[in-house]
Amino acid sequence: MAIFRWGQAWDPFRDLEREVDRLLASVSLSFQGLRFGRQYPPVNVYEVDDELLLTAELPGTRAEDLEVLVADGVLTLKGKRTGAAGITDDHYRRQERPQGSWQRSLTLPTLIQEDKLSAEFTNGVLRVRLPKAPASIPRQIQVSDGNAE
Amino acid sequence: MSNEIVKLSSPEPNGNAGMPVDPVVFTPPIDIFETPDGLVLQADLPGVTLETLELQVQDNKLTLFGRVNHVLPPNARLIHQEYALGHFLRSFILSDEVDHERVTAKLNQGVLEVFLPRVPKSEPRRIQVTTS
Repeated sequence: MAIFRWGQAWDPFRDLEREVDRLLASVSLSFQGLRFGRQYPPVNVYEVDDELLLTAELPGTRAEDLEVLVADGVLTLKGKRTGAAGITDDHYRRQERPQGSWQRSLTLPTLIQEDKLSAEFTNGVLRVRLPKAPASIPRQIQVSDGNAE
Repeated sequence: MSNEIVKLSSPEPNGNAGMPVDPVVFTPPIDIFETPDGLVLQADLPGVTLETLELQVQDNKLTLFGRVNHVLPPNARLIHQEYALGHFLRSFILSDEVDHERVTAKLNQGVLEVFLPRVPKSEPRRIQVTTS
């Protein structure tokens, strides 16, 4: 299809604009989480009272293939998703679902009680509960006069 | 194309009569692969449960609609968002090669798996020819 039609040669920019709009509109966004430049898996973080709640959509992952680690204020999620057993690539008519191993580390916005972390995985959605560490009480530090002795 | 058993029908903005309309409805990613008995369709539907999944075959159109119920505490405050929540809707045109009566499906950890068995090949029938 011709992008520029001679009949409207005096207004090619409007044509170009319309064509670019049309191209952009046809880009499929069905690959949620696989858009370029995005980390996998996409996560949402909520604040619930004195807890953080992190959710991630990981359909088809087995709970035993999921790993949630926390150390020094960094939460690491690891996992993998394998394709159907015994099905080689040439049996696929269509393949849109991502598969393979992934790992993602997130720096937590607040201090959390790392030993009280809990995670559950239901219906393909991972939910990690991160209880916040109680705010530390400011500690007074005695300043001594170095010249007093 | 005659060898295409499942055709992807284009999204219909207003054509889903009877389906509840929600502001956010996603097209879930799918895989389709062949097995000796037919085709298997897998769709990612995270957050969808057996109770909130509707799967139907009407005429030659297979439609899946998965509703996602946000199970969040009422006082949850979103502080970081990378994905949006919404329902899932996608439909497919089944060819005559698929035995519509024997379509089965299962849902496991947010993945819907639909089995689309091939219609059994009809046996050649011998026709007796007689003379009058």
